[in-house]
Amino acid sequence: MSGTKTISFTLNGAKKEFAIAPGELLVKLLRRSGLTGTKEGCDEGTCGACTVIVDGRAVMSCIMPAFLVEGRRVETIEGVGDFGKVHPIQQALADAGAVQCGYCIPGLIMSAKALLEEKPDASDEDIRTHMDGNLCRCTGYEKIWTALRNVRDANQPKQA
Amino acid sequence: MKITDFKIPTRLDEALALLRVLGPAGLPVAGATSLVFIPEDEPKTAVDLNRIGLDGIRRDNGTFRIGATTRVAALQKHAAPGWVLNRVAQMLASQQIRNESTLGGNICRVFPWADFPAALLALGAVMVLQGETTREVPADEFFSAQPARLFRSGELLTQVCVPALSPGLGFGYRKVRQTATGFSMLTAAALLQLDGATIRSVRAAMSGGVPFPARCPGVEGALAGKKASEGLLREAALNGLAGLKFKEAEGMSTAYIGRLAGVTLGDVLVEAWTQAKEQAS
Repeated sequence: MSGTKTISFTLNGAKKEFAIAPGELLVKLLRRSGLTGTKEGCDEGTCGACTVIVDGRAVMSCIMPAFLVEGRRVETIEGVGDFGKVHPIQQALADAGAVQCGYCIPGLIMSAKALLEEKPDASDEDIRTHMDGNLCRCTGYEKIWTALRNVRDANQPKQA
Repeated sequence: MKITDFKIPTRLDEALALLRVLGPAGLPVAGATSLVFIPEDEPKTAVDLNRIGLDGIRRDNGTFRIGATTRVAALQKHAAPGWVLNRVAQMLASQQIRNESTLGGNICRVFPWADFPAALLALGAVMVLQGETTREVPADEFFSAQPARLFRSGELLTQVCVPALSPGLGFGYRKVRQTATGFSMLTAAALLQLDGATIRSVRAAMSGGVPFPARCPGVEGALAGKKASEGLLREAALNGLAGLKFKEAEGMSTAYIGRLAGVTLGDVLVEAWTQAKEQAS
């Protein structure tokens, strides 16, 4: 590849190096590196299917040039959990019946994880505001809100 | 946008020097969220502005000085007496975009749907441009056409200064959109200063439904020096926009957008008046 440049960043906890085309988008880099859990939906920063976490903040990887994550910490759905070790947000979504076709779910989990790690006691309004960039065409959202409220409530200290 | 190379400077002077050498081939980038809307095909070298200390909000007497690469999410979360830009920030696009998009990026290339130009026009913001020298450009000049024309080679927007609202001042803001994260169909903002029950001055501005962000002088002139009332504010908004051009969009005629503008600006003025009264008491 002509004009290839090297960047390095922490991907799901491990420091990695990548040869990239200067204008390559983060979602393309992740997917060609085998991390296909991050989905491509609209490719214009609208639908949220491509959401990953960079330095603790949810971002749209479909419009983010990969060079912007040089030296940063990137988390994708692959670092969150799997069938052997299910993350509480994943479990809550499954329990609430909030997953239908599932295409929006990896991005949605990344948005929710960024919020609940920054603000474990997020209000219902915080949840709705923070999740406004994750479109779901199946569920009508109610079961997603239920699941995220359940995760939030389970995080709270128990009343004596 | 065709990015054929990138540079990651770690000091402001280094970034300015790079941009001076690159000239038109250099592209300052911070949040990068609007690159998707820029169709130009000329090859560009992106200059990453995220590590040169241009982010953050600090108060300097009656002014908030906001670094150009401050994220919209930081404006949204900021809480301080006299701070109003959280009201603008929280309605901009989606959380993922707010997390990346910067104040400087939102105003250096003005898209029809941009939210901050109207708010900064109403607030009488001042933009700080730094190159070999540092100069200040008032919002009225900055937004009189695409700001790109103002930048000399090797010059960057480094700071945006907005007033902290003091007693007697109120700010109103509305963004009309079809969905929670949709682009603006019409954005209106106003800063209203009360002197007792009398309106001392109003700065009102619009974007979205107009060809380019603009002040509303007919409305401002109809209100200055008058005794404030909800009826007066709404009437001024409905009758004072005759000089503005509106553009049709998404099946809405110019007449519809014009009516929407009058009603929306009326809401904005009442909101600003209400806050000004609360601030004064």
